[in-house]
Amino acid sequence: MGYETAKFTEFQIDALKEIGNIGAGNAATALSQMVGKRVDMSVTKVLILPADAIAGFLGGIEKNVAAVHMPVYGEMLGVALIFFPLERLSELSGMLIGKNEEDPNHLSELGQSAIKELGSILTGAYLSALFRFVHIQLIHGVPGLVIDMAQAILDTVLVELEQREEIAIVIETEFLEDDKQLTGSFFLLPEADSLKNFFNAFSKSLGLPGNG
Amino acid sequence: MDESDLAVGIAEFKSAGSGRLIAYGLGSCVGLTLYDRAKKLGGLAHIMLPSSRMHAQVSVRGKYVDTAVESLMEELGRQGADLGRLEAKLVGGANMFISITQQAVPIGMRNVSAAREQLGAKGIKIKAEDVGGSQGRTVFFTLADGKIEIRKLNQPILSI
Repeated sequence: MGYETAKFTEFQIDALKEIGNIGAGNAATALSQMVGKRVDMSVTKVLILPADAIAGFLGGIEKNVAAVHMPVYGEMLGVALIFFPLERLSELSGMLIGKNEEDPNHLSELGQSAIKELGSILTGAYLSALFRFVHIQLIHGVPGLVIDMAQAILDTVLVELEQREEIAIVIETEFLEDDKQLTGSFFLLPEADSLKNFFNAFSKSLGLPGNG
Repeated sequence: MDESDLAVGIAEFKSAGSGRLIAYGLGSCVGLTLYDRAKKLGGLAHIMLPSSRMHAQVSVRGKYVDTAVESLMEELGRQGADLGRLEAKLVGGANMFISITQQAVPIGMRNVSAAREQLGAKGIKIKAEDVGGSQGRTVFFTLADGKIEIRKLNQPILSI
């Protein structure tokens, strides 16, 4: 199956949104416990992006962004990325560790860990929501944090997956704490065979025929 | 981008006799340039992986070091470049994050090693390199003088 045939219908996108909402709810609970105050999360957007549109979605090929990345294993191989706007990274880590740091390019160890933990919580929550719905068992590896050009991050992921075409399942998430409102975009980039399996399992869980 | 700029996407290679060839956001990919200084003719390949040998069918020759170098040489030869006069530059092959394959040598560095080996086998001298590290790079190759400029996050432009 080529990437062009992995066409998600509106119905499937709605289902992904629902999965996203379940995940966001669980992640909010975990995050509230971590920071010791109430943090709300909601899914603002779900979309499927081809590789060549990802950098544009993030603000441009040379746009500097922060990303928490981790490998995804199990019944599907891939990479999970959570992109945060670099200009608001200090605020985000401030929300997590209780103090704002000035330079998002050089966050303290604690600030970096907090961002990585947030990425890890989000990914874990979305993957387990997917499991409940699609019955694909997925686990993620250790998170890392990278700040670089959007395209260079994507370039590295494509090399990892050894493919030049890719689609990403994107769940844009909003975090709310008091009057602060921040966003992060969760990206799941499956390896080619995994995409086929995922798509078929997903269609089956919705009672639709796969198109493998 | 100017009108005379030509972007080289992932797993692509392009040649030109004027203007600039550009590869945006190289991560663990390698940007490899070949240049015939006398004819001001050159090419840039944006390569993903070290070798095509593990693959039975290679539909995208620009994807692998060995096939990309061969195809780019052929293309430059067709355009009248003197293959014995080509000089090469290598850029990229960063190690930006923990690999899912967890190999001992990161893929970026394996790309760089493969490129050095392949160029050596073809008798092409490597004139300059900016490889490895943990940062992504955007590469601008000016055909008029063979100069390469490299842009990295929060760093001054580097010329090689």
